[in-house]
Amino acid sequence: MNFFKTFKHDTWVKPYIKQYKGLLITALLLGLLTSFCAAALMFTSGYTIDKAATHPINILLIYIPILMTRAFGIGRPVFKYLERLKSHNWVLRVTSDLRTRLYKTLESDASFFSEYHKTGDIMGLLSEDISHLQNLYLRTIFPTVISYLLTIIASIALGIFNPSFGFFVFLLLFIEVFLVPLFSVSIESARRSYQKSVKSDLYVQLTDNIMGVDDWVISGRKDDFKKLTSQNIQNLNQSKNKSKAFRRNRDFGLQLIFAAIVICFLIFTNLTMTNNQVQANFVSAVVLAIFPLSDTIIPVSQGFEEWPQYRDSIERLNTIKPIPNNLPKQVTLDPKDFESISVDNITFEYDSNSPILIKNFTQKIKKGEKLALLGPSGIGKTTILQLILGDLSPQQGQISINDLDISQIQENRENIFSVLNQKPFLFNTTLMNNVRLGNEHKSDAEVKKALERVGLKPLIESLPEKYDTIVGENGSRFSGGEQERIALARILLQDAPIVLLDEPTVGLDPITENDLLETFFDVLKDKTIIWVTHHLQGITHVDHVVFMNSDAIEMEGSPEKLYQTNKHFKDLYQMDQGY
Amino acid sequence: MIDKRLFRLPGTKKLLLVLAGLTLLQAFVVLFQGKYLAEALVNSWEQKSLQTIIYPMVLFAIAFILRHLFNLLNTKIVENYAGKTSENIRGQLLEKVYNSGPEMISEEGTGNLVTSSLDGIDLVENYFKLIFTKLMNMSIIPPVLLIYIYTQNIASGITLTIIVPLVILFMIILGLAAQSKADAQYKQYTILSNHFLDALRGLPTLKMLGLSKRYAKNIYTVSDEYRRRTMNTLRIAILSTFALDWLTTLGIAILAVFLGLGLINNSFPLFPALVTLILAPEYFLPLRDFSNDYHATLNGKNALNAIFELLDKPSDNKGSDLKDFTWDEDSQVELNNLEFTYKGSGDKEVSLDIDHLKLSGYHRIGVIGKSGSGKTTLIRAIGGFLLPYSADIKINQQSVPNFKQTNWQNKLTFLPQSPYLFAGSIAENIAFYRPDASMDEIKKATHAAGLDEFLKVLPEGFDTRIGEGGRGISGGQQQRIMLARAFLADDRHILIFDEPTAHLDIETEYALKKPMEQLFHDHLVIFATHRLHWINEMDYVIVMDNGQIAEQGTPDKLRDHNGAFSKLINNMRGDQL
Repeated sequence: MNFFKTFKHDTWVKPYIKQYKGLLITALLLGLLTSFCAAALMFTSGYTIDKAATHPINILLIYIPILMTRAFGIGRPVFKYLERLKSHNWVLRVTSDLRTRLYKTLESDASFFSEYHKTGDIMGLLSEDISHLQNLYLRTIFPTVISYLLTIIASIALGIFNPSFGFFVFLLLFIEVFLVPLFSVSIESARRSYQKSVKSDLYVQLTDNIMGVDDWVISGRKDDFKKLTSQNIQNLNQSKNKSKAFRRNRDFGLQLIFAAIVICFLIFTNLTMTNNQVQANFVSAVVLAIFPLSDTIIPVSQGFEEWPQYRDSIERLNTIKPIPNNLPKQVTLDPKDFESISVDNITFEYDSNSPILIKNFTQKIKKGEKLALLGPSGIGKTTILQLILGDLSPQQGQISINDLDISQIQENRENIFSVLNQKPFLFNTTLMNNVRLGNEHKSDAEVKKALERVGLKPLIESLPEKYDTIVGENGSRFSGGEQERIALARILLQDAPIVLLDEPTVGLDPITENDLLETFFDVLKDKTIIWVTHHLQGITHVDHVVFMNSDAIEMEGSPEKLYQTNKHFKDLYQMDQGY
Repeated sequence: MIDKRLFRLPGTKKLLLVLAGLTLLQAFVVLFQGKYLAEALVNSWEQKSLQTIIYPMVLFAIAFILRHLFNLLNTKIVENYAGKTSENIRGQLLEKVYNSGPEMISEEGTGNLVTSSLDGIDLVENYFKLIFTKLMNMSIIPPVLLIYIYTQNIASGITLTIIVPLVILFMIILGLAAQSKADAQYKQYTILSNHFLDALRGLPTLKMLGLSKRYAKNIYTVSDEYRRRTMNTLRIAILSTFALDWLTTLGIAILAVFLGLGLINNSFPLFPALVTLILAPEYFLPLRDFSNDYHATLNGKNALNAIFELLDKPSDNKGSDLKDFTWDEDSQVELNNLEFTYKGSGDKEVSLDIDHLKLSGYHRIGVIGKSGSGKTTLIRAIGGFLLPYSADIKINQQSVPNFKQTNWQNKLTFLPQSPYLFAGSIAENIAFYRPDASMDEIKKATHAAGLDEFLKVLPEGFDTRIGEGGRGISGGQQQRIMLARAFLADDRHILIFDEPTAHLDIETEYALKKPMEQLFHDHLVIFATHRLHWINEMDYVIVMDNGQIAEQGTPDKLRDHNGAFSKLINNMRGDQL
């Protein structure tokens, strides 16, 4: 059974059940009490009426059942209300723990972010997985546990009066809450996974088609355009229709079994409780009390059915494991003592299928030097930056800062390196907070000064909230060039001696690009810079240019010298400049 | 509660009739189920033998089974209707995307349209499934039961009648209170709820800044703050369900007490009392069901509204004003006084105001300007993707209101900044404009685009599956596939380029130049670009600024003249070696 397989090595669901035990037990107890009150309400009402129908001389005789009827009538909604609060509270508490754990695990795994093949929004997926776990608790685990407890309690209660009848009812309930749900999950599991995968295909397809609609419109192939997704939509609908039909029939089946239970109760009460009026007064009570139970029992199958969705999340989370830190003994390097970076004959590849291969790459960069790295996309320029940072390790060769191997200075790496990439990440908080992340000890004045140096002062001061402007999701409040400048201000505060620039101007128009490069090289003039770029705009700012291709370094040298001595470089440069 | 537009959908009226019939039947079997159960119970209470209850018990069982059978039928009919209707709406939506897609995408965004046509449709389907059944149940079952209860016991009937408006009143009051509370917290709330994802996505940055370890504590604090706020809101939000529950269960309790007192006073026998008690939960059930799914129906309703809004947008089909013609060296397009403004994504206003422009023969026309100057808007208007507010356009002496003309668009090849490759084989992608092209023709086009080398290393050659936006193929090869497409479409003599090399590295761009220049032969070329070297390939340059043509002329003439062109070029070049 895939249940048990999934849970066997699980560390994301099981351990948390033990967390906040008191709260969890309270929530489950309240859930149980809700169902109990619902049944008890009908029980006492039935009894009250039956008893009253015997015309007792004294009204006080039905006073207690009346009181209880009222109490249960109030108890049910109150318990239900409390149960919902407590269960949500428990789940949200666990969520906070799960989130912290996911964060810490990812944080410890440096390579997680650098594996180039991790495409798609893995972070979005993981954060959704955590919300799936919330639903697993609220929609599947809690209702199931409550219905099981109820089944057991009801069977035992009956068993006390009549063991064989108790056992018989237990069997019927067992079918309702265990066998049918299990059967439905085994039938629906494959179908649900299939639907999920077709649906994600459809997402990609539709996104592509909508993005390519210009081309389709021009081509005049309207029918073909509509046909593109029709096959997948049809498959999805067919499968969904099967699921729906199954669900309808299953629910009908569950009701039939429930009808059987009611009939059994009717017969049982007639056979065993009609010996005297005192007993007979309980007949309606017992029979009516089972009707509300269907509300607790029938939905269990529905909860089980959602299992495949949760399974994927649980399995994905369980693949993320903390990576043991096997760094050598760490050495503290004073940023002021930084002299040079040497990349010594390194070779690196992710695996044999990957197009990225770095062979015998060597560079030496002295303090204050500016180096530009060019080459076609996918050749491994970003990989070289990751190697220099120490996020990846070369298979051969060594990268060192002064005499220290790069792996020895990982602990306080932020004192040595700053990184600015294509899409710098801005947190959805104020400008001030975003920039101050560079160095939390800086005063407001210093943060403002940094923003002034990167040329944002006029813009920011024209905003209604000024420095407290919220930057929006992924910095969406600001344009691409402005986002780069904000990130640059952050780096200025960080004040590390080496700055790695990973195509920070790609996708910007040439005027914005020029302005930005001017600012970069102006404010970072004392720093050592390694700059990955895809064309020659602003190349005059650097001391040394390196062109990589898939085999080796194609050409390198100072831009001025290359321009004079290398025909290919000259052609490229002139093309870039539009001559 | 129910949108009038629903009735316009095909089959809705018939569905409602069938459902009304079925629900009425259901109401009666519910009634019989209660009645025979009560009879059986009364007989047991009177201590009669098993034989006496067999007859009512069997009838009870039949009624119970019939009830759920009708329910099954009901669900089946509604699900079929919902499936079909939502599929129909999806079809309309896709058709709409095709007919006015380019305009719509610039207004709505791709993501929005995809969400509408997938998740939106699912929500709508669910909405259809819920709304009809629940509304029908609510309006038919309780009245039928109530009438019966009145015939059995008037006091109970009155009690049950009074409770319903009370329930609704309470729910409205509490619902409003919850809403205002939620609204007040909404902004903080979304920031908090997105905080975790934000932190995960920003984790590499935090790491670079050396803050990632300390930030873990923050994750917990914020998450806990979120929990606290959620609980605060929830406390009020679920009060309305509580009120419903409370009033209905209390209703049953009160009823039981009344009935008990009535029985003691000997005002009526056991049967009417019992049947009333049994039917009371059934009386409230439709109301509870409705309120349980209220939020789901609300989401569905909003999704449906959004889709109806998209569908109701005026859409201009491709015009057929333009008679067929052939584009050759003597052809010409003249446009005067072209004007329009629209709200682009992010509420940025885009406007275009062109006094006069002439495109003719096999000229090569470059369109340059800084970003936001209206380059793209202009070429998209010429491509017929954006419709001008007013314009005087003449294509080969024929007057047309806009460029969205079948006989204009089938002369065009469009090469955008990020190429579009659809899921399929390389051959199918190359034969995009001419799906019936022979393999020889495809090979010739591939050769011309310089793709021979690339195809040689692919084990499956032309049959290699690409797609999903061409993932796995480098930007340069994607552009070459687009070029092959254009080479093959030799009946289309107008090429429109929108910054085709903006994202490429310089060496890839350099290598692409040759096949592109070849493609320019025998074509009218309209080429929007930031990259200056292309200007040398152009016969004529249009300099855009602020949605207007700042300058136009041959490159040589513009170069000599110290105007917008020279200024722009100098700004773009920056410092030089």
